[in-house]
Amino acid sequence: MRILSEGQGEYLKPDPDGYREWVRDHKSRAMVSKLMSEKDAVQKFVQDGDYLVYECTYLQRGPSSLIREVIRQRKKDLWLGAKFTWVSAALLVGGGCVSKLDVGFFLFGPVVEAAIREGRVKAYEYSNVVMTNRIMAGAMGLPFIAVRSFGGTDGFKYSGAKIIEDPYTGQPTVVVPALNPDVALIHVHQADIYGNARVFGTGISHSEAALASKKVIISAEEIIDTEEIRRDPGRTTIPYYVVDAVVNAPFGALPGTVQGYYASDTPHVIEVVGSVMRGLVDAYLERWVYSLESQQELLEKRMGVAKLLELQQRETIKEGYRP
Amino acid sequence: MTQATHFSEREHQICAVAHMVEDARTYWVTGGGSPMAAILLAKKLYAPDAVYVTEDGVLGAEPALPFDPIMNMVSSRAGYRALQWGTMNTVGFHAQIGLMDYGILNTLQVDQWGNINSTAVGDYEGEHRRFGGPGGADSIASLCWRTILLTDQQKRKFVPRVDFISSPGFLDGSPGAREKAGLPRGTRPWRVVTPWSIFDYDDNRRLRLTAVSPFVTVEQVLAEMSFEPAMAPEIGVVETPTEEELLVLRTELDTRGQITDVGRWIELRDDGKYVFAEAGGGGDTALPRSW
Repeated sequence: MRILSEGQGEYLKPDPDGYREWVRDHKSRAMVSKLMSEKDAVQKFVQDGDYLVYECTYLQRGPSSLIREVIRQRKKDLWLGAKFTWVSAALLVGGGCVSKLDVGFFLFGPVVEAAIREGRVKAYEYSNVVMTNRIMAGAMGLPFIAVRSFGGTDGFKYSGAKIIEDPYTGQPTVVVPALNPDVALIHVHQADIYGNARVFGTGISHSEAALASKKVIISAEEIIDTEEIRRDPGRTTIPYYVVDAVVNAPFGALPGTVQGYYASDTPHVIEVVGSVMRGLVDAYLERWVYSLESQQELLEKRMGVAKLLELQQRETIKEGYRP
Repeated sequence: MTQATHFSEREHQICAVAHMVEDARTYWVTGGGSPMAAILLAKKLYAPDAVYVTEDGVLGAEPALPFDPIMNMVSSRAGYRALQWGTMNTVGFHAQIGLMDYGILNTLQVDQWGNINSTAVGDYEGEHRRFGGPGGADSIASLCWRTILLTDQQKRKFVPRVDFISSPGFLDGSPGAREKAGLPRGTRPWRVVTPWSIFDYDDNRRLRLTAVSPFVTVEQVLAEMSFEPAMAPEIGVVETPTEEELLVLRTELDTRGQITDVGRWIELRDDGKYVFAEAGGGGDTALPRSW
């Protein structure tokens, strides 16, 4: 295959056979409970230096409680797949957890800008869809995937993409490396203790990220019985055998919304977005992460029952979000 | 239909885009903001089968407005009454096989070839101001058959060559540049719409001024660009909003003014001239309000 041009960005090297061997050796096919606390899950499955993806955002059905736990445990040197991100990347960068970013989209602000300018964080450029296509390729067990976008951009130069002469059509075609992240954080509506998980409604690439990632931590609004999974198998979005940890995380997406369950906490959304845009991430993390032991404590000390009930009541649209 | 006598620059821009919306065509956008308002306005008044499609894979939603701040995707109100809930990958593939007719994008910076910058202003490898990256815009501008860009009429927004191509227009403007870069044949940037003007592209793929709003002159538009665009043989007048359009916009689509309350206000004087209103209106035109 003739390479016509190629980006100069560093990329996580695809290794499909290596990934197969990892899956053979580490993904248990046994139905064993993977239920654990967010603290244990992050301690056990997020290592310094990992490539980390999160599904959706800190503001919309994202694994927000898990992201807070990663920051609380002061993980270091992570490489983020920062697609469809809003504030997650800035919070993790602000927490000193990040050394590399594959950019799709994140909310910019002084903290990330300074980290990039001072060389503490290196950014590589992609787009949201190119990143989810890379994850798709990782989920398919492929070394790379052809995409029909991204060519001709300046982002291409700072990425791991190449333009090749397609051996079938002879036309210039963009290819990007498959992505098999070390760890995926995924927040779902429901899961059983084994990791069979249900996402209701739209999303970014949760099914693909679960298949593509070496270690998968699911946080769930509700833990449901496996009998309920078996009653309606078409609802299973993620199968148990790719999942490594299941965390019971009611209101786990706060301050974000979970469709059909609760609305976003608007003052908190404005606080976190403002903190990112004005470079006040430290103060935000102190209040919402470091000063708290856990998600449970956040719900008790910073939210309270009345506020949680109000968020539930404000989520009036239920169609499609209950089996 | 009655021509409106008072409207904001943003309302005028949204209506101008709504007038371009074709029935039974798909519109792939990043969700919320002016692009959503334009498509839904057109659906309500002229193009009932236009299809609103968002980056998170929501197909044909009838959004329950207004949204809470930033909840323009992956929220129950944004995905309300859709035909399908997919994902970013599924809708990306729909676009890749040619199902997406139009993209509508808000842009930070655009150049004479319709390229878009949302990554860095300045020298990417040196001094620059960092922005959030292309997000969904790169795929929209690559894969939709036609792409409409929205921006404000400001010198710093219209530059000869964007500092960083985040999402592709005609790239360096040479014939076949998009195809050589692997982008699908026949896709293209199509229009740029500001509150003051409408552009298409000439046969050499350069931005071409085709119409200006009745409250500004051609000279005023050109003064707010950092390059000289091609000029259509006749410069038309951008149609102003009707009372009916503003009623839908203000009472159904943007009741809180989250989208439209930006820019200066225009009034139709008794002598039939459109002028900038002396007072009122407001908002910071420099801030992107798409969220």
